[in-house]
Amino acid sequence: MSLFIQQIVNGLTLGSIYCLVALGLTLIYGIMEVPNFAHGHLYMVGAYVTFFGMTLYGLNYWVSALVAGIIIAILGVITERVVFNPLRHAPSSNRFIAALGAMMFLEAAARLLWGADFRSIPPVYDKVLSFAGVRVTEQRVIVIVAAILLIIALNLFLKRTIIGSSIEAVAQNPDGSSLVGINVNVVGMLTFAIASFLAAVAAALAGPIFLVFPTMGELIIMKAFVIIVIGGMGSIPGAIVGGYILGLTESLGATYISMDYKDVIAFLVLVIILTIKPTGLFAKGV
Amino acid sequence: MLRKSKRYVSLLIMVFLVVTVFVSGCGQSAATGQGSSGTAKVVNIGWTGPLSGGAAQFGKDTLDGLNMAVDEINSAGGITVNGQKYTFKVVALDDQYKPDMSATNGRRLATQDKAPVIFVNHAGGTYALQQFNTDSSNPFLLAVHSSDPGVAAHGNKLTFVGADPFTAQPDPYSKQAMQKFGKKLALIPAVTPYGQDWGKAMTSAWTNNGGTVTGTFPMDYNTETDYASYVTKALSTNPDVIFLGGPSQPDGLVIKEARQQGFKGGFILCDQASMEDVAKVVSMTDLNGTIGFMPLSQLSSPGVKKFVAAFEAKYNRVPTFHNSGMYYDMKVIAKGMEKAGSVTDPAKILTGMKQVLPITDDSVPYQLNSINDKGQMIIGLYGTMISNGKYGQPFSITPQQ
Repeated sequence: MSLFIQQIVNGLTLGSIYCLVALGLTLIYGIMEVPNFAHGHLYMVGAYVTFFGMTLYGLNYWVSALVAGIIIAILGVITERVVFNPLRHAPSSNRFIAALGAMMFLEAAARLLWGADFRSIPPVYDKVLSFAGVRVTEQRVIVIVAAILLIIALNLFLKRTIIGSSIEAVAQNPDGSSLVGINVNVVGMLTFAIASFLAAVAAALAGPIFLVFPTMGELIIMKAFVIIVIGGMGSIPGAIVGGYILGLTESLGATYISMDYKDVIAFLVLVIILTIKPTGLFAKGV
Repeated sequence: MLRKSKRYVSLLIMVFLVVTVFVSGCGQSAATGQGSSGTAKVVNIGWTGPLSGGAAQFGKDTLDGLNMAVDEINSAGGITVNGQKYTFKVVALDDQYKPDMSATNGRRLATQDKAPVIFVNHAGGTYALQQFNTDSSNPFLLAVHSSDPGVAAHGNKLTFVGADPFTAQPDPYSKQAMQKFGKKLALIPAVTPYGQDWGKAMTSAWTNNGGTVTGTFPMDYNTETDYASYVTKALSTNPDVIFLGGPSQPDGLVIKEARQQGFKGGFILCDQASMEDVAKVVSMTDLNGTIGFMPLSQLSSPGVKKFVAAFEAKYNRVPTFHNSGMYYDMKVIAKGMEKAGSVTDPAKILTGMKQVLPITDDSVPYQLNSINDKGQMIIGLYGTMISNGKYGQPFSITPQQ
């Protein structure tokens, strides 16, 4: 039983990180109709900013995480302005290629600036909590709780504020929303800022558990992409549910089915879900 | 209609994603080393290995050692062969750890750069290059820094392996670990061919010494983000010792996770990991009972001290074992060229290299004993076990001739 609970905790930790990254990806997809491949790399830069904030400038962990969030949000807005905004009337394949370009640029820049070696964010909440034979570090609990809080905050923001609703409006119908006076430009930038902020905070949360290296974004974007396909492209509840499904499938599938086919199991779930519901679990009405 | 097109978009995206993972970072190249001076002619030394992607650091580590050897030889005036002075120039190409790219790089280095020697630091690339390194048009000596026993096993006449085969390590490691912790072993090898071979060698050494294996849990150390579920699974089999087959820092995270989940036993590290790098992500106390390669900087022979000091002066960091491999390989190659009286004929160079061994003075960090008929150099290497938060005494892991 403790094996089962331990793996549930492992799956939830991983799922929380997946969720936060996938949420940003799905938000951006909603307004751009193209997945931002560079999103995983913003996550990576976020991890580096947290790392340097703590090691070079001696900042507190939470301050570094916040600084990373803000810097990456600005970086996200710059990406939107420089890369995607000029292409908003171009065919979607152009935005596609631009996103790939941004991704390669960020990875190469990180390797050039910071080198290819693994780094690790110094652990802050390393104490082990133990209950019913299950041993979990505080950091993992923080990841799970923080992800839930961020998800609730994001939902409140989107549902209860005017700015939030305007993001949803633009995602549903960009022409219609500009007709009723919503500034689509501002909403675009805002969406990138929020999405990038979430990615950076996810990286800061995951940093003390995982390693920081230039290609870490590639791994997460692959998973995040699978998640938004499972959940339905552009759907927020889809990204949340998809994130936890993938995290839990990976850890439980590895335990009870086969370690060798861990990723196969995750992709099998994707295939099954797409077979039953080709548009994903929570696809937006078209 | 729209729904359908969205599905195509997602398919397209997947394809693109896969393509980019393969394409990103390719075509990088770096040429270093010094040019010709005076009347000396320049011999190009080829290098292919990962400079981008997940194994980039490993690639750079080996390349740094090679560059250092070449710079040392050049600043001492190069080598003299048949009265002619020669200096070396390293031509390094990125292959992202992919055999097909190693082959492309190898052809380029052999034909365009006329390199008589090409270095490679992984088994996959070695197999690819062994397909054509003996071709009569552009033959070259393949200098391999890989401990995979397969690289020397193919009977390729122009292969020089400058690292001991790892098959020598599991037996002494098993004895040490069993004596201290007990007879039950769980393995978390890497999914690569190298990792699988290591796992098998470890399993047979462990069972030959009278131990039992509780389970094998292969893991992709390069694409896995969270190791916790593997650790949980491995610990559920109640092992006394865990074998780890990944690179240093991921191994470190696995050890940390295992300690946090309450594991009290020992660890055995494969030779891809260096203990000093593992210790960067996990405390020395958590590392108690970890067995692996003795860190180069912890050895006290004059050759090691000289190498460590020179490396620190040049690169401003403490070298690991991986930094030293191509350094001493290159020293042997340069001496072999002088002995053979040729900088172009790879077969003669290899024969010359066999004749200049053993090298036991302080020009190289390890004792270089001999090169056998498979092209395998036998090197005096050491393992150690961490106890009480400190590196223990070195014990020999040199293979029998």
